[in-house]
Amino acid sequence: MRDTHERVSEGAIGKPLLRSEDARLLTGRGCFIADLRLPRMAHAVFVRSPHAHARVRSIDAARAAVLPGVLAVITAADLPEVGLAHINEVPGLVKTPQPVLAGDRVRYAGQAVAILVAEDRYIGEDALELIDVDYEELPVVVSVDAAKPEGHVPLLPEVPDDVVYRDHRVFGDPAGAFESAARVFTSTYRASRFVAAPLENRGCIASFEPASRTLSFWSSTQAPHLLRRRLALCTGLPEHHVRVMMPDVGGGFGQKIPVSPEEVAVAFASAHLGLPVKWIEDRRENLMAAPHAKEQIIHLELAVDDDGTFRGLRARILGDTGAYSYNSASALIEPFMAAKLLPGVYRLDDYEYEVQAVLSNKSPTAPYRGVGWTAAQVARELLIDEVARGLGADAVELRLQNMIRSEELPRTSAPGLLYDSGSYQESLRLAAQMAGYEEFRAEQERARAEGRYLGIGFSPYVEPAGWGTQGMNQIGLHSFPSNDSARVSMDASGKVTVFVGTVALGQGHDTVMAQIAADALGVPFEDVTVVFADTSSVPISLAGTRASRSTVVGGGAVGLAAEDLRGKLLRIAGLMLEVDHQGLEIAGGRVRARGAVSISLSVREVAEAAFFNTSTREAEPEPNLTCTRLHDPDATCSNGCIAAIVEVDAETGAVKVRRLIGVEDCGTIINPMLVEGQLIGGLAQGLGGALLERVAYDEHGQIMTTTLMEYLLPTATEMPNVEIQHLSSPSPNTWRGIKGMAESGMVGGPAAIASAVADALAPFGARVGSLPLSAEAVVHMIAPRPS
Amino acid sequence: MSEPQVTVRMSVNGRAVTRTVPARLTLADFIREELELTGTHLGCEHGVCGACTVLVDGRSMRSCILYAGQMEGAEITTIEGLSPSDGSLSPIQQALHELHGLQCGFCTPGFVVTVHELLGDSPNPTEAEVREALSGNICRCTGYQGIVAAVLKVGRGACQATES
Repeated sequence: MRDTHERVSEGAIGKPLLRSEDARLLTGRGCFIADLRLPRMAHAVFVRSPHAHARVRSIDAARAAVLPGVLAVITAADLPEVGLAHINEVPGLVKTPQPVLAGDRVRYAGQAVAILVAEDRYIGEDALELIDVDYEELPVVVSVDAAKPEGHVPLLPEVPDDVVYRDHRVFGDPAGAFESAARVFTSTYRASRFVAAPLENRGCIASFEPASRTLSFWSSTQAPHLLRRRLALCTGLPEHHVRVMMPDVGGGFGQKIPVSPEEVAVAFASAHLGLPVKWIEDRRENLMAAPHAKEQIIHLELAVDDDGTFRGLRARILGDTGAYSYNSASALIEPFMAAKLLPGVYRLDDYEYEVQAVLSNKSPTAPYRGVGWTAAQVARELLIDEVARGLGADAVELRLQNMIRSEELPRTSAPGLLYDSGSYQESLRLAAQMAGYEEFRAEQERARAEGRYLGIGFSPYVEPAGWGTQGMNQIGLHSFPSNDSARVSMDASGKVTVFVGTVALGQGHDTVMAQIAADALGVPFEDVTVVFADTSSVPISLAGTRASRSTVVGGGAVGLAAEDLRGKLLRIAGLMLEVDHQGLEIAGGRVRARGAVSISLSVREVAEAAFFNTSTREAEPEPNLTCTRLHDPDATCSNGCIAAIVEVDAETGAVKVRRLIGVEDCGTIINPMLVEGQLIGGLAQGLGGALLERVAYDEHGQIMTTTLMEYLLPTATEMPNVEIQHLSSPSPNTWRGIKGMAESGMVGGPAAIASAVADALAPFGARVGSLPLSAEAVVHMIAPRPS
Repeated sequence: MSEPQVTVRMSVNGRAVTRTVPARLTLADFIREELELTGTHLGCEHGVCGACTVLVDGRSMRSCILYAGQMEGAEITTIEGLSPSDGSLSPIQQALHELHGLQCGFCTPGFVVTVHELLGDSPNPTEAEVREALSGNICRCTGYQGIVAAVLKVGRGACQATES
């Protein structure tokens, strides 16, 4: 083995270190959930409803049960009465109980009514065809703003209008602002339903050991501690008898945060059979039955003075929740989050919102990168463009005029979110400069004269990122305190193992967490190993990896624990060197006296002494070189600006994204290569949402997009290279000023592209009212043609 | 009902393999379950995402929409066959590593196989050719930028090696 000891020394933070996790993934040696195999393992498939809304009269599994190789068919009747347990409370949200398997009623096409376990998946899928379910169809709600169908049967009897949440909040004096403002601009934006579609579908393996009554559970999840807690609540097992482990995960983007009904059903199936049971979701199931996202209708009114000053904002948001408010606050993850961030980077203190979340006969919603902020951003920025056109103002100047200046920070937005530090105007100016904005306008004129339609859009964003307890409280999720912890341990050879509860799904956490620990300790990056999700050994992070928070709260906890460990090492070394430990430092893997480097010990010598030389216990009574810390910082927001330049073919409606520009400010950067990777990846999903992706249902609630030939994901031919520049406004609130940023491409991207298309089509008087801007949609927008 | 079986002989990563398998067993499931070569991944099982791409007689194919029983006499190469056994990386794998051409890594084996074919056919492709060749593989994480850059880098390296 090559000795890489001196390759990267301390100061690992800020360097574009290559990823520790790459080699195994590049060579096919990764281990994803489908790759795991246990002895005697059986395979689960689900019987899913073909109807969007129906009563289940009976399920006849007799023919399936006798097929050789079928081990069990389990329906709701065989399970204890458990719904998916929920933990966090949101005042005013009606939590609809979601069954693990539908009992007497199915509420969306694709909902599981039975789990079938067989010796292999081929037999399981054969057997599915032999199960007869007798359904009585019910009227279907597919649109939350249309009239209810004739004979409407509410999804939940106690909610006759299907509205599970409504709230109306007024901040400042919007009535006064609207009364005194010169003009009011209005818009309606209908955000389509997206699905996160990680390339790896969901999946899990449950192995229940009947003698000890313990459940070992492997899952492609974003939140193993949350999963353990809910599995324990659902099965009635004590929490220490449930162990959740997480293999490599092939992307999540939010969809793998909630505990799925399927996971709980698989746990019950394993307990029922006393065998390990594996479920690997297929793409059709993922597209139709895994949680969807983003669908809502946003009505906006913006009061503006003649000089362009924004005076007040009113929003009415109607969120399409799908069939259940789900097992967390997921019904609100779209409309409620949208309302909280609608003022964005602008000075809009006179603000008022009305939010409703409405049930429909569609798959439930879950977070998807950017949550409700994606739709809020599109709605707001498109309206600002219309204000600019209406006033004859420049779209960039109008934004700058109304933006919060960095010297005004920290500042609390009207709905109560703390914006800690940032560079709102600077990032927009830089994006405009990178785009060559003035030259572009000249080029756009020339192109129009030739019948070519170019457009530019700017989308300055702020992204709440980090989500400690204060951030959650500010947004209104009071029962979800942060508990994300990390443990840093040094062994007797002086090498470091980091245990952190915020898990990795492709973001590069192996690398990031090791950089943080190496930097905080003063040891080489190569001396650090990171261990993620095994709930039996890793400190808690109930929320898990979501909401651009892992580097802030998980990384911060690693940093604090590593600093504590550093203190221990220094105290022991002080004793060994017979000097005051306060005069010691660790650098390059050596403990040395500041200003007298000849007095030094290697970290290894100190670590060995801690374990094996009992005289060091005078300095540190416990030999374990282990420290555990929580980092629960006050709220923080990253920011930036996305710009897009598009060309629209007015004949075919095809939109070509010619350039994408990203200016991002996430404070202290741990690894710029990974920050750029997150921004570009988010922008690719943003491009998909802007131009290609839409979950489609017909009027019967049948889902029309059940393959990747109908739900279109961007490929290398649609996605341009992204030009990126970084600004840095470190957070005053977090460890080393870190801010989260992984959602920003999906927060800012769709709005930039939508705005650019609207700009390109301004000569046609076209308005963008919905995404995606498919060729067909664009052709409809631009008819009739200008003379 | 006894399930129809097929006996096939093929070469997988240079090793002769003879197996009797159900006629309906997909090549992907054969590779993953029978041969335990789990680097070939399944993202859609309907021939769109490209995660299951393998080489069949040197051409890239989607193993999820082929049957193992069709492979009589075929030479099959999977990601494992394109990866040095000592843990080092091939030039395209090294370039993907250096240019952040992967995140979750689920699609990555399929890309490596596709790129292997591309660079065999066209050692120094243009960016447009690279993007076209990669358009049958979906990556949900990276936005393709690092992947395209990696292929171009290996292509340029091959070109320089030929010239020198």
